[in-house]
Amino acid sequence: MSIPETIPIIGASWDDVLFVLFAVVMLGSALLVVTLRDIIRSGLAMIVCFAALAGLYVLLGSPILAATQVLVYIGAISVLVLFAIMLTQTKAGPARLVFQTQWWAAAIAAIAVVVVVIGVVASTDWGAEATRLQSVTGDVARLLFSDYTLPFEAVSVLLLAAVIGGIFLAKREDRRDEAPR
Amino acid sequence: MSIAVVTWQRLNLLGRILAIVVPILLALGLVTIGVAYVAGPYAVGFLADNVPLLRFVAAIGAVLLLTIPTAFIVIYLELKVIARMNLRVGPDRVGPFGTAMSVVHGLKFLSKEDFAPTGVDLRVFTLAPVVVFGGSVMTFLVIPFAPGLFGLDMNVGMLYLFAMSGLTVVGLLMAGWSSFNKYSLLGGLRSAAQMVSYEIPLTLALVGVVLLAGTMSLNQLVLAQSGSIADWYVWRQPLALIIFVIAGIAEANRSPFDLTEADQEIVAGFATEYSGMRFGFFFFAEYVNVFVVSALIVTFFFGGWTAPFDWPFPVVISGIDPLAWGVGSLIALLLVPVVGTLVLAAPFWLSSRISTLQALVIGFILFNVVAVGLLLGWAFVSLDWVTGLFWFFAKSYVFVFFFVWLRGTLPRVRIDQLMGFAWKWLLPAALVNIFVTAAVIVIVNS
Repeated sequence: MSIPETIPIIGASWDDVLFVLFAVVMLGSALLVVTLRDIIRSGLAMIVCFAALAGLYVLLGSPILAATQVLVYIGAISVLVLFAIMLTQTKAGPARLVFQTQWWAAAIAAIAVVVVVIGVVASTDWGAEATRLQSVTGDVARLLFSDYTLPFEAVSVLLLAAVIGGIFLAKREDRRDEAPR
Repeated sequence: MSIAVVTWQRLNLLGRILAIVVPILLALGLVTIGVAYVAGPYAVGFLADNVPLLRFVAAIGAVLLLTIPTAFIVIYLELKVIARMNLRVGPDRVGPFGTAMSVVHGLKFLSKEDFAPTGVDLRVFTLAPVVVFGGSVMTFLVIPFAPGLFGLDMNVGMLYLFAMSGLTVVGLLMAGWSSFNKYSLLGGLRSAAQMVSYEIPLTLALVGVVLLAGTMSLNQLVLAQSGSIADWYVWRQPLALIIFVIAGIAEANRSPFDLTEADQEIVAGFATEYSGMRFGFFFFAEYVNVFVVSALIVTFFFGGWTAPFDWPFPVVISGIDPLAWGVGSLIALLLVPVVGTLVLAAPFWLSSRISTLQALVIGFILFNVVAVGLLLGWAFVSLDWVTGLFWFFAKSYVFVFFFVWLRGTLPRVRIDQLMGFAWKWLLPAALVNIFVTAAVIVIVNS
């Protein structure tokens, strides 16, 4: 007597239930990101959203992508966002921002993104793509350093350029050079 | 008056409690046996058909339970070892040599008021210790304790480890922000800056190990180092070990890198406003982290559960098979404690003038010590996972001692020194290590 493949009454498989669970958490927290008025809480809701996305990656049979998602998006990017908010905002300052002044620009951007995503989803043969994407660490590494070497290096160079640009922008004018003049 | 009432009035307090508790326990026991008799076969069948699920649930439960003794042992070690280094005695009142001190600490946290100051963001304030503790506990899931004794053998185990340690930063930031206190916020920001910076050399230091082993699964890494002491990666990756230990101390927020809770500068950092069991979670998480970092050092560089020399064990002691004796084994099981106690009590009874009862008590204690010793020795010799556990914990606690030693001797660094050291020394050293390791592997293979 083992656990049945599908849930007795509803007839959906366990993976489907988990998918629905993760999807609901992801969409709900994504909505919270834009509707919450406390910007720190928005940032925390974004972390929940990323975590739910990592869960979806695990369901799709790609644990390496899920681990990278948690490592990069939660461990680095979200922390950086929270860090920046905490450095720039204070409890005394306008922590509860009014976002609505730019709603029309946001609406245009959101509709454009939705159109693009629908176009991509509709034009992809999901049956073929899903079977191809059963990734293991070794396979990913082999692909990365054979077929996709050029994009990989291009991304590295882009990131390096971004880092140097960031340092240049953040760097103060060096006063000691000006002193002798 | 009936005889029952008279008897009840004659009982003292203990007797009355026992008179109520014992029948309840007996009834519960009978019900349990009945339920087990009826539902037992179904339950066993269900569990036998769902071994992966059962293994997962058992692993999670074991991981959660394991954190408690681990934290208690590490806290006791810290109290006692630092006391000896300071020429103090340390805890010696509760339990033998003060060993129950950590338990008393835990009870103290439980009995304190769970206090939240005005102005805190209560939901975030409450969730923060949970996130920190969860991040520490979940790393236990992939650590291989002994052959076959691990929660999950993940193909991406190492990535998972770093992902979980990243969660801790989020928890510390949440605690720092929600406390509504400038010292807490400073502590949270310091911890974020420190952990994000030190995560990079920590991760890069292990790339050399991954290059050597060709896997990111922690269990496979240990298997790749099995053999003797010469096969451990510490000899082939000494620079990586140094970087990993330094960055690991910073990741665990331990002295000399404990700037997040530097008490002379920012009270207690992110934990300033916490009290009661909420603070207890932070406290627990810190000491669990010390053990986790030690266990990871052992797993990556010191062969995990493998023995330092070629071990002839496990061996099966043949010739004695208790199961073949039938009823005789049952009688032996009943007789051995009695005979053992009497034999061990005899010399005391004969030689000195102590009473028979005292001699028997001494004999009983001695018998227990001998029996437990023999049992553990037998398990060590003939079960490979007991041997593995022994070596794993022995090596791990060497590093726990090392961390406590550092805390007892080194002064705290300054925040600019801390960041400069990570970016100017550790990161280049880790990159050099990757480059040299890759070059050597290419040369050796060609």
